[in-house]
Amino acid sequence: MTAEELQGLKVTKSVDARGTACPGPLLEAKKAIGTIMPGEIMEVLSADEGTKVDIPKWCTKQGHEYLGTIEESGYFRIFLKKS
Amino acid sequence: MESKKMCLGLFTGSVDKLTAAGVVISGAAAMDMKVDIYVLLQGARAFRKDIGDDAGKLQMAENPALKEEFMESLKNLKVKTWVEFFREAKEITDVKIHICGLAGKIWGGEKLDDFIDLADDICGIGAYLSSAEEADINLFI
Repeated sequence: MTAEELQGLKVTKSVDARGTACPGPLLEAKKAIGTIMPGEIMEVLSADEGTKVDIPKWCTKQGHEYLGTIEESGYFRIFLKKS
Repeated sequence: MESKKMCLGLFTGSVDKLTAAGVVISGAAAMDMKVDIYVLLQGARAFRKDIGDDAGKLQMAENPALKEEFMESLKNLKVKTWVEFFREAKEITDVKIHICGLAGKIWGGEKLDDFIDLADDICGIGAYLSSAEEADINLFI
């Protein structure tokens, strides 16, 4: 998805993990995914460079759909759709 | 889909390696793996109730001179302590912590109650190897 398409998504759950280092953002994502329904969209905010690699891999393993990442100033917004 | 299984032989009693083990099992928890941890020799000392998170009683595996810098950085980065990592992983996924009976005895721990409350049982080498044989991922730290 393009950055514009990502910006326009209806996000059901936003997880702000910017205060934590690896593995914090992944664990926050894991805990939050259980609170949304299949088909709903979650974004993970992380200032950890590794998270933008971790979350897509995690999505592949868990069966969720990784939608894309927007790079903001000093952090990343990583979007995924729950399967 | 059946969950993958990780078997970890945790020999170390050093705060840097215990922290690394904590990060690894946190990742396993995020991926819904089943984790069996076998706490061996030095590890059993760290799991003693009077040690655990008391970093003053734990050494560094690599370059002891860097301990202060390491502990300070963990604090600044708000990284959990190794015990907190283990505890959180147990809350998320099926993590079982087994203390090696011989190791326990070496460090004065005869009963499960002598170890921090995360320990599930005391076992022998047969249990470790049976688990290792069945696991998808085997690690030794």
